[in-house]
Amino acid sequence: MRTGRTSRRRYPRQAASETSGHRTHDRFAWTGLDLLNGEIVPSLTILLTTKGCSWARRDGCTMCGYIADSNPDAQSSDIQKQLFEVLARYGTGFKIAKLFTSGSFLDQEEVPIDARDAMLSALADTPKVIVESRPEFVTSEILDDVVRSNRHLEVAIGLETSNDDIRNSCINKGFTFRDFVRASKVAHSKGLTVKAYLLLKPPFLTELEALEDAIQSTHEAAPHADTISLNLCNVQKGTLVEALWKKRLYRPPWLWTAVEVLKRVKQMATIICDPVGGGTARGPHNCGKCDRQVVSEIKEFSLSQDSTSFTAACTDQLLWKYVLEFEKFSYGAPLVP
Amino acid sequence: MQRQFEVTRRDGAARLGTLRWRGEELTTPSSFDSKEELEFLNASTIHNAELDVAVITNQEEYRAERIDADVVILGGAARFSDDPRGLTKALVRARESTNPDSALYAPALATPNNVSLLVYAGVDLVDPIMAEVKAREGYLLSAEGERQFDAISRSYCLCDACRGVNVADLTPEQRVAVLSAHNRQALKTELCIVRENIERGTLRELVEARCRTAPMLTALLRLLDEEHSYFERRSPIVRTATLLACSQESLNRPEILRFGERVIERLNKRDGILMLFPCSARKPYSRSRSHRIILNRLGKLRQFLHEAIITSPIGIVPRGLEIMYPASNYDIPVTGKWTCDESEWVIGRLTKYLEANAFDTVVAHVSGPYRKVCDEAAAALGVDLIYTVEDENILGSASLQRLCAVVQELIVDDSPKRRDLRFDYLQDLADYEFGPHASTAIFAERTKVRGLFPTYYASDGGTRIATIVGTYCTLALTIEGARRYLRASENRYCVHIDDFVPKGTVFAIGVLNADPGIRPFDEVIVLNERVIAVGRALMSGWEMQASKRGAAVAVRHVDAR
Repeated sequence: MRTGRTSRRRYPRQAASETSGHRTHDRFAWTGLDLLNGEIVPSLTILLTTKGCSWARRDGCTMCGYIADSNPDAQSSDIQKQLFEVLARYGTGFKIAKLFTSGSFLDQEEVPIDARDAMLSALADTPKVIVESRPEFVTSEILDDVVRSNRHLEVAIGLETSNDDIRNSCINKGFTFRDFVRASKVAHSKGLTVKAYLLLKPPFLTELEALEDAIQSTHEAAPHADTISLNLCNVQKGTLVEALWKKRLYRPPWLWTAVEVLKRVKQMATIICDPVGGGTARGPHNCGKCDRQVVSEIKEFSLSQDSTSFTAACTDQLLWKYVLEFEKFSYGAPLVP
Repeated sequence: MQRQFEVTRRDGAARLGTLRWRGEELTTPSSFDSKEELEFLNASTIHNAELDVAVITNQEEYRAERIDADVVILGGAARFSDDPRGLTKALVRARESTNPDSALYAPALATPNNVSLLVYAGVDLVDPIMAEVKAREGYLLSAEGERQFDAISRSYCLCDACRGVNVADLTPEQRVAVLSAHNRQALKTELCIVRENIERGTLRELVEARCRTAPMLTALLRLLDEEHSYFERRSPIVRTATLLACSQESLNRPEILRFGERVIERLNKRDGILMLFPCSARKPYSRSRSHRIILNRLGKLRQFLHEAIITSPIGIVPRGLEIMYPASNYDIPVTGKWTCDESEWVIGRLTKYLEANAFDTVVAHVSGPYRKVCDEAAAALGVDLIYTVEDENILGSASLQRLCAVVQELIVDDSPKRRDLRFDYLQDLADYEFGPHASTAIFAERTKVRGLFPTYYASDGGTRIATIVGTYCTLALTIEGARRYLRASENRYCVHIDDFVPKGTVFAIGVLNADPGIRPFDEVIVLNERVIAVGRALMSGWEMQASKRGAAVAVRHVDAR
């Protein structure tokens, strides 16, 4: 699963507004602003169409629908071509490049070695290159190969939660916290940085359970990650989460819950959050009146790490607090759509 | 384990009950109140020696085995708050797959507006969660629905929470406090009204009124009405309250459909001359002015006629059943015009009635919408009816004269003559209550009818067989009547009990086996190896079998077998 970036087909319009980079955007690439060593710098995000996540092809996570964007016939040359076309269009003025596939960039099945090395070499001068991978591909062997092409790599891993029960029962992720810790150690030992994705509100949790899980997970993941990206669960097509959502057995998290997590964990780690689909029925949302402001405050916080960004107040906070306290007594259904 | 929930009274699928928990007794249907109560229940879903609580987590699952617990929680019920179809299915399925002496709890769903329908569908327990959520969304709730508090310009409610409150002066927290107190109070008040209506057996009337306030609730009631067998299995055979048929939905009431079915399926097939009457405002019809005038005028001619009354919304009422609920006490808005639905329904009933019997001639002494109904039914069957009303006036002298002349003319020397018109009541009630041919089994050629209308009784050579008992006007069998019925009936309307001599009340725990066709207030026969008894059922037969608590039969007479 990859969040922390915008799905190609799901929220094209949101993606444009979300990336504070404002300048250019298309379905497969856009520019924005991100945090690098405490500085706000321009970034380039590129979505590469591959044959799809190895786990999604075999089993899959409950909230991830990105496999629908994959191309089973994607060849090494197709993948490279996508990157070089984007680079030709956007130039090299950015300090961060995010190379996102529909799965694990380090999986040779998904991104063939020649494509991987060619792309990383092309970005060798970029101060930071972020790729995503499941922990099973973050091995000493693979990383030794990879650092030969690029030394500024950050490996982003979809840990989702530090709680193995939730990760396996609610998300069906198929790996453990120990797997993540091992991968993180290997990456650090090769001089790479690590980002951990945490999922706010996997299915089958109440709002309060989700809030507590995100805080607990941040505590436990922070020692192993340089950055934590809090991903607010959204409802993607063709997923179990969507089926539950349609039956009104799932509601994406409240934006207030995200704000609460960010406020409470900010001392522990650099924590960023891009509320994909914020304010929509399928994305994280509040009452509808305050959503826009809260979304922009969350983005502001992601760049500043300063919780004084959070100034919004709305009457629906009383409702949100009630939901936190009483949702468990509904035995399965969200109290508010 | 000792059951902690007991049903004490039934009104269709709705029940009054008592839940013993946390050292006190809660009269249901009821709302939990405090967070401690919700926590206690939540904790009991894991393990509690005191209260057995089960959760239905998959509302779509079909269950082969009944869930047996003191409280059964319909998990995630709140998801159906805007989905009448899903709610209907979930509630019916939940109720059908749990033991009848389990209390059904629908969490986070009830509002003052919908709670009567939830209870009507079989919910015993609710909570104030949705009322609290609505308070925080700015809604003031009442049985009529919800209003945005800010949009209310002047004093709307005089409850303790609202009195003297000026919306504009309130902080958000104060506003929530006012709305929360008001909404909780409104839910409690509505539950009082619901309980009182169950007590009187009139919850259906309340529900028909409440459902008018929201399309979702009207849809819910209509969809619930499609679950006819679910409600019929729970509906009492009689009640004292008047059935008020004020809405389109009234036509689909379980007791109206059941009455129609039984008239066709249970009564003896008739032949000869049928005379059709319009209904009257006063019940029973034969005590109304219009019927008295016509019947007096017919005099002795009546013994050659079978009589039936055309009425909305009951359909066709054979004379002998005019004292039976719902024909005996219902009321409809009288405008002289029938809606299409009403006409269509009554036409259907008349057509079926004529088809099911073998009348040689039908004389219809009707006018207005009744005439139209007769015309349509006759056209559907390709038969001719004889109309006897002149100038649209059923009591006009020309009409009455013509009626008598027509009947006189139809009578021939060997026309079958009924020996006693009072016998109609006993015979029809016996068949209606105990099934086809029951009257043939119970009554003999020489059976005599005595008594004053409507409490006639039948006896054979000095032995009483059956009596029409007051209050409900059901036909009650004596021990002798029961013996006669048993010889022909193969355990219908029988309750087999453990080896004890019943005194007063038989409890469900003592029932070994019962005819699942028994309905609340049916007259039943109680049996074991040693004794035979007769009495009145207090719950349905299937419920007697499945329940461990509660009174099953009120016994009237006992004798050695």
